[in-house]
Amino acid sequence: MSDIVLWYTTRGAGAVSMILLSAVVILGVLSSLRFQSAGWPRFLTPALHRNLALMTLVFLGLHIVTAVVDPFTHLGWLTVVVPFSSYYRTFWLGLGTIAFELLAAIVVTSLLRGLIGQAAWRAIHWLTYASWPVAVLHSFGTGTDALSGWFMVLSIVCVGSVTMAIVYRILVPSTDPLAAARGEFRSGVSRKPDQ
Amino acid sequence: MTMEGTKPAEARIRARDRALALLNNITTYVAFAGIAGVGIFGTVSALTIPGVSASPSSGATASATTSNASDSTSSDSSSSSSSSSGLSSSSGSVSSSSSSGVAVSGGS
Repeated sequence: MSDIVLWYTTRGAGAVSMILLSAVVILGVLSSLRFQSAGWPRFLTPALHRNLALMTLVFLGLHIVTAVVDPFTHLGWLTVVVPFSSYYRTFWLGLGTIAFELLAAIVVTSLLRGLIGQAAWRAIHWLTYASWPVAVLHSFGTGTDALSGWFMVLSIVCVGSVTMAIVYRILVPSTDPLAAARGEFRSGVSRKPDQ
Repeated sequence: MTMEGTKPAEARIRARDRALALLNNITTYVAFAGIAGVGIFGTVSALTIPGVSASPSSGATASATTSNASDSTSSDSSSSSSSSSGLSSSSGSVSSSSSSGVAVSGGS
């Protein structure tokens, strides 16, 4: 495969990963609102959130692999797992490594949710709010296209959409009719001693 | 269990199946859109790569500079004229060697 194709694939997969990750964050924020309608059952939002999260990992893998095997930068596989170990754009690539590891932790703990428990899963899942902005900063700092018009528009749409979703989530209370009962049940379970 | 109880259950099952089909369709469409997006964004980034212009103006600049240099050499003038294409001339002065007559353009 040509080096130039690898480079363009890296950039294209990075842009798609940012779009998908933004969509995953938006769906995750909105799933807590428990939205449903006649043609959109309530389980559909978290199910789509899960599917898109797994798909994001696939495109993120493509982004990472094509960047590492690109002979122009000589990043090396250590850069994938050790933040700030790259000689090339050390800080911004390190942010990408951190974002990837946070996302991987979130996905792995979601798949092992039954083993680690609800409280630990929820605590780790809050890392999403750190992973997404770190990934966006990585795209701004490392991205060759960061100052291109099309990428600026893409970034504004992604950042604006996620911001709107978070603001909407804060302003609009959950429509869950069983929220109070569910909270009481959780607190009762947490108080119950092990027997 | 009466028939009144089974009908809503069947309706719920059908609704759930429709929703699962919708979920699969959306996931498939997003996957294909993502693959297409890699190609589209890769192409767009190739066309808009910083430092490279997709227009043929760079070639015109080179030819214009060459013609200016040759013109200034033949006329023995230190200032070069701008070309008809509207390109600005080099700011540096153009000098020629007295022995070989090879013109060297200044600046970039």
